[in-house]
Parts: sequence; structure tokens; C-alpha cells
Amino acid sequence: MAEERKQRMTATAAAAKVPKMVRANFTANLKAKEEGRPVAFSFIVNCYDEILRAMDIVPAWAESYSGICAAKHDAGRFLEKAESQNFSRSLCTYATCGLGFEYWRNELGGEMPPNAPWGGIARPDFILGTGQMLCDPRYKWPQAVQHYMRDVPAYIGGFYWPPYDENMDQREVENYYLKYAVEELKGVIAFIEKQTQRKMDWDKLEEVTDLVDRTWDMFIDAYELRKVRPTPMDTGDAMNTMVPLAFMLGTQEAYDFYKDLYDELKDKIERKEGVAEDERYRLLWGAGLPPWFALGDFQYFNSKGAVFPVERTYREAERIDRLHLPKLSDPLERIALRWMRYWTHWYDAARKRKGSIPEVERLIEYIEDYQIDGVVFHKAFSCRTWHSGIVLQAQILKEVYREIPINHNYYKRCGNRYKYQ
Amino acid sequence: MPASERCSKSSDATKKGAIEMETLNDNGLTMVENYYRDYGYRARALKQAGKRIMGYISAAAPVEIINAAGFTPVRIKGDPKEAVTKAYGSMETLVCPFLLNAFDLALKGKYDYLDGIVIPHTCDSVSRTYEVWKRNFPLPYYHFLNVPHLDGAPSLEFFTQILKTFIRSLEQFTGKEISKKNLDHAVLAYNELRQAMRDLYDLRKPDQPLISGIEMMKLLVAVKALPVDESTALIRQVSKEVKERKTSSSQKPLRVMIAGDQIDDTALVEIIEKTGAQVVMDDISVGSKLYYADIEVTHDPVDGIAEYYLEKVSLPTFYRDKGGSYDENLELRFGHLKRFISEFDVDAVILLVYKNCDPYGFEVPATTSYIESLGKPVFYVEDEYSSSSSSRLKTRIEAFIEMLTQERR
Ligand code: SF4
Ligand code: SF4
Repeated sequence: MAEERKQRMTATAAAAKVPKMVRANFTANLKAKEEGRPVAFSFIVNCYDEILRAMDIVPAWAESYSGICAAKHDAGRFLEKAESQNFSRSLCTYATCGLGFEYWRNELGGEMPPNAPWGGIARPDFILGTGQMLCDPRYKWPQAVQHYMRDVPAYIGGFYWPPYDENMDQREVENYYLKYAVEELKGVIAFIEKQTQRKMDWDKLEEVTDLVDRTWDMFIDAYELRKVRPTPMDTGDAMNTMVPLAFMLGTQEAYDFYKDLYDELKDKIERKEGVAEDERYRLLWGAGLPPWFALGDFQYFNSKGAVFPVERTYREAERIDRLHLPKLSDPLERIALRWMRYWTHWYDAARKRKGSIPEVERLIEYIEDYQIDGVVFHKAFSCRTWHSGIVLQAQILKEVYREIPINHNYYKRCGNRYKYQ
Repeated sequence: MPASERCSKSSDATKKGAIEMETLNDNGLTMVENYYRDYGYRARALKQAGKRIMGYISAAAPVEIINAAGFTPVRIKGDPKEAVTKAYGSMETLVCPFLLNAFDLALKGKYDYLDGIVIPHTCDSVSRTYEVWKRNFPLPYYHFLNVPHLDGAPSLEFFTQILKTFIRSLEQFTGKEISKKNLDHAVLAYNELRQAMRDLYDLRKPDQPLISGIEMMKLLVAVKALPVDESTALIRQVSKEVKERKTSSSQKPLRVMIAGDQIDDTALVEIIEKTGAQVVMDDISVGSKLYYADIEVTHDPVDGIAEYYLEKVSLPTFYRDKGGSYDENLELRFGHLKRFISEFDVDAVILLVYKNCDPYGFEVPATTSYIESLGKPVFYVEDEYSSSSSSRLKTRIEAFIEMLTQERR
């Protein structure tokens, strides 16, 4: 009990609201299905949330549902189903958990698997994936899951950004990347129009695009309040407060959430209320998905006077004015360029520091802005996209910046459970 | 001649001698054996004679452009017999074991003759380790090629632009323009190589294939580290030699097709052929995936090259969906397997997928059920890229083949 009280005391009220929001997200897709409104399987950080919202498509976040199963310690039976289909244990477990679920649902003739956590996830009307943004499962999973829902069409929109090259300014090639991204976003719209017989409301899309710009700003403004000593919020909470940004980007609710968070953090700062009673060490969560089953571990760090005022993970936004976007009237160009400039934002800094790379520049920026004493890199097996290249980042960080203390840790799937190592 | 001797001989050779094509004199298969055993020795000799050599990873790298820029392209391969020892400190073990092994070889000096490396965006393992290669195995040139996962008009146009950026980057590096003529010539040279390879594949079609799976595997690997004209000449020479073979047995072996990505070693084929079965076809990325279509000769050769890689190379890293039904998409993805199974009279398929490989791993149920729907048995096995696991593999494959052989009796 004492521990629980402590948890409540340190968590922001905003973070505490998140489980309800996640739940509402899932109720929404199940409800929409019941009411006959279109539901799409999709992925968070997909680069077209604005389109979904403007067209009133209810997203069912397939990977989030796997996260829920894992958090409820109920992913094992779905993973076993996936393994019975020869999906390797080494594949992304978010994906395989979802695949096991759908295999089972298909076996049951479309019925929800028994006692599905939170009542399950709606069977979608269509599936939306992406090429490159961010990982292979984002186009292979839709294809694989179709095997168990053959009547459900899928569309993969390509979204790429210029690769980092220390000898080339990415703006030299940005135009054709942008043109492609816009064409692909048009493809997403055309596909949804075909599936739903609805027309895109371009005015609404423009409104949502404006809203997302504001949300990105508000998110960063709120998060940057964590620079203050003692920090009013740390990564333990941020693993919750990322939800509106990642899952509900194009909604007013997301904007309001970060506005509330901003206000709450301001209050905490005024009251000098920190995450740790005695803040002594400021750490950066340098990379990696969090151990969802052990988010309480952040409290352990706090009890030792260590806080995480900043993290790389799930910080998929930047202040719009820092992206130096030109004035564009086409919302699709705005959406595409906003993302592209976000992904290439640290390129210029990397070119200026010999031997650096953008990911490391980003860490350096956080280390300096948030007065960081050490970096924790966290590895989760089976997600290559976030966890390959971490060793290199740590090496380069020390080489080009300074001898900052670095800790690597990882957790590993062990049977049907995960184990910290 | 041992490999080391050959290498020192090459280094002693006069520049002129070393760059001359090695004479084939009816010893094509022997040369294949040598090239296979000491992968890259010819490239190393060429390098010592002043030629430029460009390494590349995966089947999605446009070798035609590398060739047109004046380089001999060498596909980076691993060696399953070599235990990974050096790579662990710098590359995460959650990536593809083939890649980890190949990187380990690079760190051990196996690719010390390269002028650069081209790494296409094929899968997360490859794309996310680009910087790891670049930092830990520094070479004068590195290029990351953003190959889209999609086909269709916008992707084609986009990829064409990406290839043009690649061309400019090579021009900058070499200080030499890559002309349309260079590109046209490279396209024709590789088309010729593909035709020669298809002709050789045809010799596997008879009831008694004229070339064994092991020999074929060695050849497929050998040509990945040779100049294109030498590869074509070698393939033709091997075709000529094997055509002269007389078939002795009247018994038709169990005919197996192997499928997977980076199978670039004979270990799997040896296991299969030691049982008396014969590998008559492959769907692997150093094999038929690259040879069963040509690059169309287009006014701008880059258009044809882009179209070839995006639409004609059947890698699971390309997403194929033209908006049809699931079954129609299956045909787009796996229709070539149906053709191969029928044309090469395949009795069974062995699908080998490496651990940590998302592109192939997610396809396993679809691939196996597609093959089974053709009435052919398929054996799926997941493995590390390491010969240390081959005894386990051997027992399982032998059991599978034994079962099929029993059924035939
Ligand atoms: S591979 Fe990583 S980023 Fe992709 S779905 Fe899985 S956990 Fe998410
Ligand atoms: S085997 Fe799979 S993971 Fe490895 S390089 Fe090929 S596609 Fe990538």
C-alpha cells in the first residue's frame, strides 16, 4: 500500500488519466464496429492520423492491443497460437501477439477469442500500414494478418525520408521525397474513399492539420518544462503521456491533454514539487521501448534520487518553428513535410560535429538542455527498429561528446513472460 | 592450389596479367570450386591490379549502376562455418544472423579489398545497421540506398530519382561521369548473364539433372564476386561442360526446391543431396530471384533498372498488392513458385528462414500454405546462419526426405 501511495504521489494527474483514454480508444473501436462505422487496423506514428480523423475512420491500434494483452499478463496464449502457425519467436512480439489473436478469431469463425482482454479489438474493415515508417512489421504484419482475414483489404502507404549523408544536404533531395510522400498520402485517401464510399472533407483535413501543428508545439512545450530542477515529471509518466501523441494525434482531446499537462507541470514547478524527494541524478532514457510490465521500476530509480527528465522513446514530435517549414497550402504537403523535417531535424547538427550522427546529436541536445548526468539504453528483443544501433550510439556519444556514464540493460522474452536481464 | 598460394600468386602477377580474364580451358567447374572456396580472391587480385571493387548487401542493390561506374560489384556474404567473434561488441545480436556473420567477416579482414559498400534499404536489420558498418568498417565510400517496399507508379518514379542520386554520388566519388552508354552496356551485360544463368537452370529440368544442386550453389555464389563478363563466360563454360555429361542412373531422384533469402553456402544442399534427393531449383536471393526476369531496355536505362528491382525481383521486402483479392495477391507474391514447381518438376520444398528475419518470417504461413495448395509438401525450418546448428537441421531434413521417399515407394 505504501508503495502504491508513493506511486500516486509522484505520477502526474495527466498520466493517471491515460489508462482511461486507452480504454476509451478500445471501446471506441468496438462500439464503432457495432454501429457499422468504419474501423481500420493501423499503427501508431503512422504519418496520416490527420486523414483518419478527417474522414471519421476509427483506428484500432493493433500493436497497442498487444501491449494491453502483455500488460494484463495475457499475451502468452496468443503468442502460442502464433507459434503454432510457425511465426517465429524472434519476430516482433507486438505483431505476433496480434497475429495469434487473429488466427484464433478466424478459427472461431470470427468470434472474439474467449476472455479477450478489454473485450478484444474490433475486426477491421480495412488495414492501413506504411512502408519504412517505422519498421518492417508495418507492412509485413498487414500482409500476414490478412491470411486470417482474407476479405479485409490492406493498403500500405510509402513514407520515406532522405537518409543521413555527411556529404550531402538532405534538402537537395527533399523535393522528390516530398512529392512521393504526397502521392502516397493521396493513395491512402483514395483507398479509404473506395472502402467507405466517403469523400475526403478537405476543409476538415486542413483544420486537423492545423490542430496537429498546435499539438506538436504544446507537447514539446509541456515536455520541456521537465528541464527544471527538480523535474516535475519523468520517463515513468512519459510512457503513459505519450499515448495522445502516438494514438490520438489528430484529435482535440490530444491537444487538450498536453495543455492540461503543461498547466499541471507549471503548478508543480511553482510548488517545487519534483518526481524524486531528493533529486540527485538526472538520467536520459537514451533508447528503447520500455519494460511495460515493470514501469514501476522508475519509482525505484526515484527512490534513489535518480530521475529521467527526458527520453528519446516516443518523443515523435518537435516544435514546428524549429522545423523551418515553408508556407504550404496543401495539407498533404504540410503533413508530409512536417514529418520529413522531423526525421531529418538533427542532420545539420550531425554534419557540424565531426564523427557524429543525427541520433547522437539528438541525445547531446537532450543531455545539455536537461542537464543530464548519465544515459540509460534499454533493449527489448524482437524490435529491431528501435534496438539496433544502440551500441553504436553509445560509442559515438562518448567519442564525439564526452565520457558520460552509460548503462545498457535489456529484457528478454522468456517462455510466455519477459525477464529483466 | 591452396587459396593463400593463389592470393600471393595474384599479388606477384603483373598488373596486366592479373586483370586479364582467367582462362577457362574446359575447367569451368574447377574454377567455380576455387572461386567458391576462396570467395573474393579474383576481386582481390583485380584490386591489386588497380581495379575498383564495390561491395553491396542484398539482392536489391542495382549492380548495373555499380558496374557502369567502373566497379566490380561484390556481394557481401557470410561464412556459416566461421563463428562470430568480433562483431558482438558493435552489432546487436537481435539483427539477422547472416548480417552479423558477414559483418564479423568484414571486421576480420575478409573484405579488405573493397573501395566501398552500398547498402540498400531492404529490411530493418540491414537498414538499421548501416551506420554500424560505416563506423566499424571504414571504407572510402558508403551509400545507403532507400529502396521503397512498394511498387506502382509513384514508387517507380521515386526510386528512379533515388537511383539518380546514387549515380551522382558515385560520379562524385570517382570523378567520372556515368554515361547513358555505360548504363546501357551494363544493362545488356547483366541481361546476358541472366540469360546464361537461365539456360544453365534449364539443365536441371531433365529427370536426371545435368548439374547437381551443390555445383549450382557454388556457381551461384562464385559469380557474385566476379566481373559480369567473367561470370557470364563461366556460366556458359559450366553449361558446356555439364551438357557433355552422360546420365547413368535411370532412377529419378526426389526433386527438391530450396527457398529463403541469404542462403549462400552449400551446407543445406549438401544435407539434402546426401540423402539421394536432388536440389533442382531454388527461390533464394543469390539464385533464381535475380535471374528470372531481364531489365527492359528503356530510353533512359535508369527507368528499366528501377522497374526491374521494384517489380521483377521477388523479395518479401517488396509489398505486392495491386488492389485485387487476397488470392490474387498471393499469385503476385508467390506465382513464380508455382511456375518453378511445375517447370522443374519439384516434388518438395524446403523453406529456410533465418531467426530475426521479419520480411521472410512474417510470410511463413502464407508461403507454406501456398505451396501446399499446389499439392506439394513443404518443410519449414528456422535456423541461425551457422554450421554449428547443421546437425540438428540435418536430422530434421533427413526425416522429412525419408518420409517423402517412403511415400513414393
Ligand atoms: S518492430 Fe518495433 S516499432 Fe515495429 S511494431 Fe514491433 S515493436 Fe513496434
Ligand atoms: S535474411 Fe532477412 S533479415 Fe537477413 S538480410 Fe535477408 S531479409 Fe534481411
